[in-house]
Amino acid sequence: MDRNLLSYGLQYACYFIEAGLVVYLAQRRQHRKQGSVAFYLCSLLAADVARACVLHAYGLTSLRYFYVYWSTDFLLVISAFLLVCFLFRRACRGEEKLWRFVRLLLLFAFILVVGISGLIFSHNYRALFPYFVFEFNQNLYFACLVLNTLLYLLLQQIDSADDQLGLLVCGVGIQFAGPAATLALVHLTTAGPFALALNSFSMPVCTLGMLLVWAYAIVHVKGKASAVTRRQIPAFAQVTAGLNV
Amino acid sequence: MIVAALILILSTAMFFFYFQVTCQKILRRQFDREYFQSIVNANRFEFPSLRKSLEEFGAPPDYPRLRMMLKCDFLALTYLLKNAANVNQRYSKEERLLILYFRWQFLSLSVRRLFKVGEKKAILRLTSVLQYFANVVGQRVNTVRFGNLTAADYLLNL
Repeated sequence: MDRNLLSYGLQYACYFIEAGLVVYLAQRRQHRKQGSVAFYLCSLLAADVARACVLHAYGLTSLRYFYVYWSTDFLLVISAFLLVCFLFRRACRGEEKLWRFVRLLLLFAFILVVGISGLIFSHNYRALFPYFVFEFNQNLYFACLVLNTLLYLLLQQIDSADDQLGLLVCGVGIQFAGPAATLALVHLTTAGPFALALNSFSMPVCTLGMLLVWAYAIVHVKGKASAVTRRQIPAFAQVTAGLNV
Repeated sequence: MIVAALILILSTAMFFFYFQVTCQKILRRQFDREYFQSIVNANRFEFPSLRKSLEEFGAPPDYPRLRMMLKCDFLALTYLLKNAANVNQRYSKEERLLILYFRWQFLSLSVRRLFKVGEKKAILRLTSVLQYFANVVGQRVNTVRFGNLTAADYLLNL
């Protein structure tokens, strides 16, 4: 099969599911309850539309497309970081002490990423776009992956009853881990043709994977709005409900 | 170089980890009753006996036979998933993901067999996927009605 055709097919499948999920959330009036998911989906959709418009108007090799691509990439990475923050907030609902610590951790991670990227920027401060943005995006992306894994471990630790949140976190993990691995492979093979081809496919495939997992989580799995943890249920409530303590 | 290699290893490991966790979360779905039993009896699937022998005696049958049993059950169940009481005549999203997961675990079984590591675990995972598929098929069949009878009642009255 033609490689470009497959790539376009994957991209259009992503657009279709993104738009479908946004419409589903709006129709079911879940956009408030699923604020973090709706926010990230809207960011993805907005970035895709902006890129497609500029690509159509100015072409792949134009400077405008270059700037729009990297600007939207920057905004997407920031959205991804905010998404992880929102998911942490959802996981820590009812655990204010833990949330205070997590908030500090998130802030520290963000400052660390800005600092490390800034070091590289300081060597060539005139080239904001190629150096700082590329480095910052890559670093924050990997930081999001690590934070997402910490979130997954936290959910296991507090024995969260919010099954939907667990699946959302898994979806995010798939979205972050695949491209991070292929980008590292590109770096290691000094942009070898196989690594580049793998990279061009991994991004839409992983986004598609995340969207499918999210669609399953939103449509089929009921989330617990209060995110009550199994551990938190008091003994008397379990006895009243006829459960074994 | 070292950092990139580290990121590559960690990210790849995390990717497979998240993939596996997602599939296991889907497999943990609770059905209101054990629908798979009627499907297993009707089609003479072998995966429940395979799992029982593994759980009780810890010994799987010989490897070529085991592979054949799993493969046959998988092919029959995926056919039923697509065609039995399925109006759309296609797999759902989670079914596609689990089919991919089954293939991945099937491949990993060969590797585990080669290195003799965690073979039993992989077989149990494969049987749990098959049980999930059988439950889905059973649930679908149970909802289809022939007049006042469900498909199961209809078959019993024949």
